[in-house]
Amino acid sequence: METIELLILLLKFIVFPGAIFCIAYGFFLEWFDRKLYAKFQNRIGPLLTGPKGLLQPFADFVKLLAKEDITPVGADKLGFTLTPLLTVAVSLFTLLFIPIHSLTGVLSLPGDVLLVLFISTVFGLLIMFAGYFSGNRFSMVGTERTGLQFVGYEIPFALSVISVAAAARSLEITNIVNYQVNILGLPLIVFTPIAFAIYLISALAKLEKIPFDIPEAETEIVGGWQVEYSGKKLAFFRLATDLKMVFVSGLAAALFLGGPYGPSIPGLEPIFYTIWFIIKTLIVMFILSNLRSLFARYRIDQVVHGFWKYMVPLAVLQILIVEGLIFMGVI
Amino acid sequence: MSVEKRIFKIPVGPQHPALKEFEHFVFTVDGERVIDVGFRIGYTHRGIEKLAESKTYIQNLYLCERICGICSAAHQGCYAQTVEELADITAPPRGTYIRTLIWELERIHSHLLWLGVAAHEIGFDTLFMLVWRDREVVMDLLEMISGNRVNYAMSTIGGVRRDISDELKHKILKGLDILEERTKYYKEVCMKEQTILARAANVGILTREQALKLNAVGPTARASGVDVDLRRDDPYGAYDEVPFNVIVYDTCDVLARVLVRVDETFECINMCRWLLENLPEGDIRTKFARKIAENEVVGRVEAPRGELFYYIKSNGTDKPERLKVRTPTLANILPVCEMLKGGYIADIPIVLAGIDPCFACMDRALFIDENSEKKWVWSREQLRIYSIKWYKEHGNEVVRERWKQ
Amino acid sequence: MPLPGAMEKELIKLIAKKPATEMYPFIKVEPPEGYRGKISFDIEKCIGCGLCAKDCPAGAIEMVEDERTKLKKRPKFIYSRCLFCAQCEESCPRKAIKLTKEFELADYNKEAMVIDV
Repeated sequence: METIELLILLLKFIVFPGAIFCIAYGFFLEWFDRKLYAKFQNRIGPLLTGPKGLLQPFADFVKLLAKEDITPVGADKLGFTLTPLLTVAVSLFTLLFIPIHSLTGVLSLPGDVLLVLFISTVFGLLIMFAGYFSGNRFSMVGTERTGLQFVGYEIPFALSVISVAAAARSLEITNIVNYQVNILGLPLIVFTPIAFAIYLISALAKLEKIPFDIPEAETEIVGGWQVEYSGKKLAFFRLATDLKMVFVSGLAAALFLGGPYGPSIPGLEPIFYTIWFIIKTLIVMFILSNLRSLFARYRIDQVVHGFWKYMVPLAVLQILIVEGLIFMGVI
Repeated sequence: MSVEKRIFKIPVGPQHPALKEFEHFVFTVDGERVIDVGFRIGYTHRGIEKLAESKTYIQNLYLCERICGICSAAHQGCYAQTVEELADITAPPRGTYIRTLIWELERIHSHLLWLGVAAHEIGFDTLFMLVWRDREVVMDLLEMISGNRVNYAMSTIGGVRRDISDELKHKILKGLDILEERTKYYKEVCMKEQTILARAANVGILTREQALKLNAVGPTARASGVDVDLRRDDPYGAYDEVPFNVIVYDTCDVLARVLVRVDETFECINMCRWLLENLPEGDIRTKFARKIAENEVVGRVEAPRGELFYYIKSNGTDKPERLKVRTPTLANILPVCEMLKGGYIADIPIVLAGIDPCFACMDRALFIDENSEKKWVWSREQLRIYSIKWYKEHGNEVVRERWKQ
Repeated sequence: MPLPGAMEKELIKLIAKKPATEMYPFIKVEPPEGYRGKISFDIEKCIGCGLCAKDCPAGAIEMVEDERTKLKKRPKFIYSRCLFCAQCEESCPRKAIKLTKEFELADYNKEAMVIDV
């Protein structure tokens, strides 16, 4: 009996909704993002690999795996090799907390909102290490910029998540989803629209997309922190970026859009919930793609300035609004 | 970390995504601030001026056109115009009008191209893609007129090579309407979009005094409040008849350079319309005898990037004795270094792009002039050693000859 | 504070619009009238004067022996060197040279890129 339970758990970790599903979905999200970005620019986007170019991100990944892998002389060998692996591992780990096929993630513990926030902070740190270990001048500039941007976006990101947690009066993702589904009956975005906006903007910065692709700005510092990475290591970084996209949109779905809950046939919940999860994450991804095709890249000082001057006060205001609503008994 | 350690040098180029061509800049930076700029030009040198001396006047038309891919008509037109003066012939009015039309259409294409590149440099890829999509309209027009998208080969010595039919005229007028509407929209975007303003306003300042002192030319100078435009100051082609305004902004930053170019595009569109409507009847070219008597002439045109300068010396044969070109980018390279000092690393690409650099134009001749030697990629030290050696071998006769003169 | 995002309206419109990209290698694009492409040469009209070879800026035309023309010479076009300026078309006194609309000229074999009638 115990062996079977263990086996099911293992399948959950590795196949669905764990590693393999998340990686495949990450590739799909990248395709969706690229296709939309192209659409906004009146282009076609990926086209030839697979139906409508669906397999393009996967093909890119496989191609990069086969490329020559160079470790520069000036690099810190161990750190240089470990950071890509760690980045992928960390992003996969955070995904286990996201509810995909049921109202609970594969892993769920009291206070996991804080744990997820903490681990997502590690993304930024790992990027800094990645740039620092490669010992290139452009990487150094990229590292400096990552660090500065990090100071900017982490606090508003955390505050926007906290305001949701405050509304649900819980620090457990499962409880927040349950609160929206069973107690409130509404997704929390209705009461926390400002937090949702701040979450998305900080998420753009976390994913290093325009207008916050400053650490890897191609035209300025030639790819920034990732300039020395090639072959397998670069492939892993790209995979990690895709996984981060799943994480960011999944967390947004869980916290603001009522998790994977939606109308379904009793008994077939896992399938319907997965479909609802996909729909909700695609909505988030659509907004992110739209935002990134709308702006020019900011300068690093403008980013830090903007986040601290506008985003942090707004996030605090949102928390006050939530507290007020709780006080009045609305939520 | 000590102060010295924070200051380090960032090489930009010869190959760098911000530069679409090969040029080397060294930036001394303190964190994100640029303290000093050094540059080394000459990476795309192709020996065109020397080559021109071994080709006939007719052949050189196509060689000069290939000095620059984007302002090819300006180069070819300037060359043709200078040779016409050299041979003392004049192009018929219709020929001159069509030549001017090509110049202006090319200016539209060049300015739109620049707007796209500038948008790309500040990471605004959507604007870049859309501007370039609409630039195709003018590219197609030029292809319809001349038979090629880039190297139009329209000017020839004594006029132009192809006529414009009435049917084509209507097509061009229609295309110009689309271009005007789209350019209006892009101007609105540039004035309204906060992220563009954040990156372009008060960035890369070049004051009027600096611009005058360092001899900035073209839109770069006009964005710094220097009211200079060869088309008005020293009219050539049909410019003494076409009505147009010289656009001058005095905010001296990158935004001013954007607006000067966008507004100039409107002027170009109006000029093209005027030229088409007032196209005189008659021949498009006059005959040109292949040999030119001994003479020397300086010719200037206002290329999309600024003043373009040609010097040609003839010696009675069908080949020029000397051809010298000064492109606008060479004049703007010192101002751009001044603009970059004190800015951020993030501003380097947009400021560099701000002068609309064309390094391939610029690098025709550097050491050639002094040495008449093809090996130009020398450091100063190598050059010194070489010159000592050379003078040891040939020096005496040369010095004696020079004294005689 | 004015918000960024001036192009939003345009972007929403673009979602429904057809892409501007030409599907070139799959769907051919017809070049306009007067396009300067591959050279076509009519030996019947040629007199062998050699003006085309003299004016060619790229050295793409060589004069070779031929009994058929009046001056016992005919041009040989090495179009891998050609830069499509159409100067030969203009220089030819008998209109024997014409530039066609054909532009897909790449070949694996350099020797094959010659027009020799």
